[in-house]
Amino acid sequence: MEAGTTAPHVGHDPHDHIHPPPEGFIRKYVFSLDHKVIAFQYFITGLLFMLIAGSFAELIRLQLWEPNGAIMSHNAYDTMFTIHGTAMVWLVVIPLVTGALGNFVMPLQIGARDVAFPWLNMLSFWILPVAGLTLFSTFLAGGAHAGWTEYPPISLADGTAGALWCAAIFLVGISSTITGLNFMVTIIKMRAPGMTWTRMPLFIWASFATAFMNMFATVALSSALFALFLEHVFNVPFFDANRGGSAVLYEHMFWFYSHPAVYIFILPAFGVISEILPVFARKPIFGYKMIAFSSLAIAILSFAVWAHHMFPSGISPWLQLTFMIITYAIGVPTGIKVFSWIATLWAGRIHFTTAMLYAMGFLITFTFGGITGIFLASVPADFHEHGTYFVVAHFHYVVAGGALMGFLAAIPYWYPKATGRLMSERMGRWSFWLFFIGFNATFFPMHWLGLEGMPRRYASYVAFATGNPDAVFWNQFETVFSFLMVVSIGLLAWNMIWSIRHGKPAGINPWGARTLEWTISSPPPYYNFRKIPIVYDRPYDFDKPLPYRNLDNDIDAYPEPSPVLLRQEPVRAGA
Amino acid sequence: MATAVATAPLAGHEAVAARYLEVDPVYAETRSIRLLGFVFFLLSDCVLFGAFIFAYVYLRISAPTWPPFVGNHRLPWFDTAFAALNSIVLFGSGVTMHFALENWKHLNRQKFYRWLIATIILGLGFLLGQAHEWTGVLRGGVTWPGSTMGASFFTLTGMHGFHVFVGVCYLTVLGLQARRGIYTGSKYFGLTAGTLYWHFVDVIWVVLFTLFYVW
Repeated sequence: MEAGTTAPHVGHDPHDHIHPPPEGFIRKYVFSLDHKVIAFQYFITGLLFMLIAGSFAELIRLQLWEPNGAIMSHNAYDTMFTIHGTAMVWLVVIPLVTGALGNFVMPLQIGARDVAFPWLNMLSFWILPVAGLTLFSTFLAGGAHAGWTEYPPISLADGTAGALWCAAIFLVGISSTITGLNFMVTIIKMRAPGMTWTRMPLFIWASFATAFMNMFATVALSSALFALFLEHVFNVPFFDANRGGSAVLYEHMFWFYSHPAVYIFILPAFGVISEILPVFARKPIFGYKMIAFSSLAIAILSFAVWAHHMFPSGISPWLQLTFMIITYAIGVPTGIKVFSWIATLWAGRIHFTTAMLYAMGFLITFTFGGITGIFLASVPADFHEHGTYFVVAHFHYVVAGGALMGFLAAIPYWYPKATGRLMSERMGRWSFWLFFIGFNATFFPMHWLGLEGMPRRYASYVAFATGNPDAVFWNQFETVFSFLMVVSIGLLAWNMIWSIRHGKPAGINPWGARTLEWTISSPPPYYNFRKIPIVYDRPYDFDKPLPYRNLDNDIDAYPEPSPVLLRQEPVRAGA
Repeated sequence: MATAVATAPLAGHEAVAARYLEVDPVYAETRSIRLLGFVFFLLSDCVLFGAFIFAYVYLRISAPTWPPFVGNHRLPWFDTAFAALNSIVLFGSGVTMHFALENWKHLNRQKFYRWLIATIILGLGFLLGQAHEWTGVLRGGVTWPGSTMGASFFTLTGMHGFHVFVGVCYLTVLGLQARRGIYTGSKYFGLTAGTLYWHFVDVIWVVLFTLFYVW
């Protein structure tokens, strides 16, 4: 903000200059600079992509109904699981957990009027639909077949579709790098006065660790895809072993990002759980500092564990051993979090709201997925499990049962803040139980199918089913139950639409929560805070009065500031 | 976040920011926000180069011979002498840019423009030198799609050259903005950012020069 040199300010005092609310549909809802509107845009976009990627998942499940399923050609099946994985990772989970959730909650919780660079925020959202269209356009070019990791040399056989895939994910990478940068600066520089690092809500700690990884790791992904793109288009031999390149190099570059990426998915969910559990157990969070620092420990360690995805790819035994040990080590901060959450529940007064149900469900499914992660980190066990449905089960427990479940917990929790209405608890309980049962019934049998050796990514499992006749039953069981998740997400969507008109008015603070977003009206005004609050303590001590001053509901102390509503001016280029 | 400044003093270590605090607290705050954002941008850009440098080192270490063979022809080493000369041009431009910014701070506008133009000319000179270098390398049989050596060399130096090109455009725009009176003696964040970017491009070149011409 170039105060006073080029753009004259409307107000007299430079602190109190006015920026009138955005006018007109385009400025307000399409190219909006408001973090809350951008969060909503991410939310809708993410759900639309989830609809597409989810329907691909159901097609995959239908194909596996019979060992020699004939729903689609094997070629089409390859493109289905490739785009299902790619879209779920980059167009659904990351936009939802960082774009939607982070954008909505983070500035409110730190007492800021917006993120540090609203214009970059808008840019990083608008890259996303472009990337999505590019990704789905691979179908017009014959489809990408190499799975969401696009390992060369297989991916190089895809030609134009492979190049389009690279371009799409490169764009997503740029978008999430920008978001990471923006969030880092926002959290470091724009916290309300008095909100020291150890007074930040735990969701902010999680967002900070996520933003750190988004900013650094995602560029490595963009580089890997840029190199792969060059190989596709200009035949530059980075990864072609015939010309001195190395496919293992791609795996290194890819997983250097993609392992931190799983923590990019899961850390915001950790943050959500750390917010929801104390509120609905009516108890201070157990081990605040341990949870906060374990987020950072995870963020740092996650840069040093990537090669555990590559044990069978031909890396040296010393590297295998090193990465096995570091991967075990990253289980420690995660375990600290899980135990702290359980200790938070201990002797609390637990209110089983929908959000709390999802949070409890998260504790179960995520912990389970984390434990199978330890199996996979062990080199000898991994040689058996790699490339089987055991891996599929593991990462769905972590990503769908962890990150997505955390996000689903966040929806009923922050929906009242975003819309001013409570969601229907009755529909919410139904959608939780449908999701929880459907999810576990779908993915749990994959563990033993995988241990028996059922290979992932195969359109037909005739050979496997011959040796393991029960495989057909379990696959049909999974397919049936997977539709419960569809029903659950549909019910959730209906609940959100229905509650906009019929939900009970939420008021400022329906949950009795103590973080800053619950001190302003629901939905928040576009400037968020009339007066930036001053923070005196952590937000988790339920037996004490709120540790803030200058709150909006102390408005008697502040005369209606109508024209003097502060808002962080969008940062312009130049001076 | 204006009120934050009004109620909470800036951290003591932000000595530079403190200089602006007396002039204009809003500017001091936004300047520090932008500076951090810009430094983070440069750091994430480092990761871009880092990933490709990793690729180059990986390919070079795992190659049986370096320079590698293409058919029966062993590729030649790069020409260190010329690259060293060209490096001096680029590092010289870092020095001139430093003088440009210092002169701006001391309100010597004319000297600022002179040093800035010198920087831009040196930057363009480096790009010309790189073009010469590339033609020499190509004549030696090292091509972009032909070998891992060419792949890593042309990609990395190409990315760096692109950064230099962007930098030249950036500095030109900054010069024009300065002429239009966008910056003042106490408010010149754009110039600081441009200088940082230009030094960043220099530092990357130190690493690339070492890895391609000295190693």
